[in-house]
Amino acid sequence: MEPEFFEPFYIYAFNRQAFLFRKQPEKILLPERSFVRCGLPFVRLVAGYLKPTTVFLQRFAETASRNIISLKWQDIITLCTVGEIVLSDDVLEQSGIEAPGYVIINTLGYALGAGLLLDGSRLLCRFPKAMKQALPRISKI
Amino acid sequence: MKNPFSLFLEDYGTLIPDFQEYLVDLKQPLPLYYRINTLKTDLERAKGLLKRQGLQFRKTCFRELIRVKDQDSDSPLLSYHLGHIYPQALSSCLPVYALSPKGGEQVLDLCAAPGGKTTHMAQLMDDSGLIMANDRKLGRLTALMANIKRMGITNTIVTQSRGEHYKADFKFHKVLLDAPCSGIGRYRLDRQGRIRHMRPGKTDLPAIQKALITRAFDLLRPGGVLVYSTCTLNVEENEAVIHYLLQKRPAEVTSWQPPVPWSPGITEFKGKKYEKGVGLARRFYPHKIHSVGFFLARIAKC
Repeated sequence: MEPEFFEPFYIYAFNRQAFLFRKQPEKILLPERSFVRCGLPFVRLVAGYLKPTTVFLQRFAETASRNIISLKWQDIITLCTVGEIVLSDDVLEQSGIEAPGYVIINTLGYALGAGLLLDGSRLLCRFPKAMKQALPRISKI
Repeated sequence: MKNPFSLFLEDYGTLIPDFQEYLVDLKQPLPLYYRINTLKTDLERAKGLLKRQGLQFRKTCFRELIRVKDQDSDSPLLSYHLGHIYPQALSSCLPVYALSPKGGEQVLDLCAAPGGKTTHMAQLMDDSGLIMANDRKLGRLTALMANIKRMGITNTIVTQSRGEHYKADFKFHKVLLDAPCSGIGRYRLDRQGRIRHMRPGKTDLPAIQKALITRAFDLLRPGGVLVYSTCTLNVEENEAVIHYLLQKRPAEVTSWQPPVPWSPGITEFKGKKYEKGVGLARRFYPHKIHSVGFFLARIAKC
């Protein structure tokens, strides 16, 4: 993503998580002791890595130009049920990813969420639990 | 002892248009609607993906809302997990369209959970400006935050406060008050004729609603717009609340032309006469709109 992407947002961190909140033209006074959350969770600090959140990727991944892995639907099902898959050389070559870390997982032209690429070709599923359980139950796609 | 719904039917038999049709409609299940989240996808692409998943649907009077004809209920939808759709009754779109929030405006949703109307407003505002989404109960806020996240919204602040005591330091262009109510518009009858979706409780709802509407009005900027809505057909929770506000504050009910069949607000009930402006409120009956029964009033701050 280009740095300009973040211009319309404030970025604030809270509890090992960073949030994107739309910039406001004037100062906002919040009711006392009532603040719960603001904006969209964007990245989370996990074991020293910054993991992009699923909700952020699903909304904004189309502006990303790197670290994208496109999988077939059947691979997504395997990823969800087994928890990880080994990527073929073709897929790796197409993605152009060289370093380990979090990647965007695409299928059917949609960003589903994040995966963790390790040891060159191991892709670990990092979808939310509810989504991981639901996707293999989809009967028609 | 008669249950509250039987008493309701006795009182409203002459007020609800085509009352027999209403009674028949109560035995039908409510149709399922999905709102397409245009912040994450466009309408045609979303519809294409839904069709691919075997969903049959048809258009409604709102371009982003579809009415589901047939869905395999056991199979989850990819569109749901991508945050492309939000299950939302047709009537729940009405207060949002009556309020008509625009990009760049500051909007308060005083009783926001679980977030259908909040996320719909964010969509109409193109995720710009500001929405303050407030609710009283932490449990309900969890659902609200989950929905805001799932729909990918960045312009919303979630607060937890009693709506009646919401601090008025900050004034808004628009306020939506979808007040807690008895939910009579949501009632359905099962095969044995028993009421489904009935909310038990002895809370004095009109008192809460009157306190909420007064506070909501005070939180508006001069020239601002407040929409009061409920999913009940009970006059004490609707017209009587609007009447109360008109007497207490310099408020004016403004006319609004909904895209679905409607009836005007009731101006006389059980010997009580309400202010003339109450007639500009809108009532939506379930058998006329094929969705949850609803009431709304669009109020301007003079």
